[in-house]
Amino acid sequence: MVKEVEFLKGPELKNIEDYDFPGLHWALSLGPDKLIKEISEARLLGRGGAGFPTGTKWDLARQQKGDRKYFICNADEGEPGTYKDRYLMEQRPLKVLEGIIIGAYAVEANHGFIYIRGEYSRPIKIMKNIIEEAREAGVLGENIFDSGFDFNLRLVRGAGAYVCGDETALINSIEGKRGISRIKPPYPIQKGLFDQPTVVNNVESLACAAEILNKGAGEFASYGTENSRGTKLISLSGDVNYADIFEVEFGSCTLREIIEDLAGGVKGGREPKFVVPGGLSTAALTAEELDCKYSYEGIEEAGSSLGSGAIIVCRESRDLVDILLKVSRFYMDETCGTCFPCREGNRQINHMLTQHRNRTFSREEVELVEDIGEAIASAARCGLGQTSLSLISSIFDKFPHELIEEGVRT
Amino acid sequence: MEKQTEGDIFLELLHNIQMTYGYIPEGEINRLAEKLDRPRAEIYGAIKFYSMFYTEPTGKYIIRVCDSLSCHLQDSHELLESLKSYLKLDDGETSPDQLFTLEVVECLGHCGEGPVMMVNDRMYTELTPGKALEILKECK
Repeated sequence: MVKEVEFLKGPELKNIEDYDFPGLHWALSLGPDKLIKEISEARLLGRGGAGFPTGTKWDLARQQKGDRKYFICNADEGEPGTYKDRYLMEQRPLKVLEGIIIGAYAVEANHGFIYIRGEYSRPIKIMKNIIEEAREAGVLGENIFDSGFDFNLRLVRGAGAYVCGDETALINSIEGKRGISRIKPPYPIQKGLFDQPTVVNNVESLACAAEILNKGAGEFASYGTENSRGTKLISLSGDVNYADIFEVEFGSCTLREIIEDLAGGVKGGREPKFVVPGGLSTAALTAEELDCKYSYEGIEEAGSSLGSGAIIVCRESRDLVDILLKVSRFYMDETCGTCFPCREGNRQINHMLTQHRNRTFSREEVELVEDIGEAIASAARCGLGQTSLSLISSIFDKFPHELIEEGVRT
Repeated sequence: MEKQTEGDIFLELLHNIQMTYGYIPEGEINRLAEKLDRPRAEIYGAIKFYSMFYTEPTGKYIIRVCDSLSCHLQDSHELLESLKSYLKLDDGETSPDQLFTLEVVECLGHCGEGPVMMVNDRMYTELTPGKALEILKECK
């Protein structure tokens, strides 16, 4: 039986008077170099979906020279199936704030933003209050806890554009432009917001950083596997009996165990038809592929990706074309339109699926899906585009007997 | 430390204008262009990129129904159809009395408690068509 762990999860933590910011105090006493070393030793990987080492990002950003450095918390959570950042902002907002200040101190940024998607009215309200209270309590502002470190944090509300979750699009959005991605390099660390060195970190990554400083890199690293350290917040949804946020230790269980033990199994008690292991931009895994360990490497070996940690379960009786249509409409709606293959490719796929509601696909059509997928993956410049056909392609690949004319291939 | 004001951030300016008028009127776009020293077309282009900003008046209540995959698996389609027929509106339309605007939107981040809808800023979860209609009947 899989057990949940409690590293990030915990009782509601909203009242600034009840919290003395132990992680931040420890960070300030260590100084930026040692604090970054602590994060690097913990081997924290970014939890937004890309999995870049947080310690490395901070180390590189610290070495950058600029008139002004910026630190941004990316709370533009919008990947369908994902709601763990909302959980953290609603339940543990002081940990999020603490992580932001620690990160800003590490890279020596005096100005920061938290960019929260506009639909998250409750997290916006909560974080707005917390920022104000923190200012009054001297946790934000000048000379924080007598350390000599100044940090000014502001909240920006997004306005309904999923693509702004990409860090370069988010930066454009704060600058008041259309939220389209930028060509990299230069990376935001070199030239980001208003052309200054900028670090963008996901909410969960920052909550992890706060706990690493609070409980020590040792405790964090005692969780998980060699390549996937720590714990992960999983957002469960779809055809399960109990959909919620669960925190698991990496490598301690399989995907199947998460679904059966934590989520109470598939609704109706049957095997799932397939499971999306990491949000809409990750490849589906069939019922036979669920015995992989829940870790970055375990899910990669199974042929998909851990992504944002959103697990969506689909039961046996689901209509595949109906699901494909939903997935494709999402990418058609949310592509920013800058890269031609992503803009037109996703539209064409949606068009094709609409035409096929009640019939199967020809071999040529499936090849076309593959071609478009390859073109987008190699030509789109942001993560949204590059992964926009991962799920759709994987479903064609894994259920040919249901989707392709005259049954089976290969 | 340099003092920054909330007004500097374009998105926040737009949110505040919209809070006042319910949408972003042309006059305000002109004023913004002047204030920020940016071409009007650029301001308009940026506004149009974001689905939560409106350049035309909307209904007093904006009903946003999520139809992304997780909610779809919880029968959001059924919810949506009953709202459409009750309101006699399609996706993106506003009622003639300017009371309701209906929008089908992507993920609202409540995937474990679908189907969901937002009425202006307020989120309603685990809806049935019946419960949703009751909520709408309270909107006057």
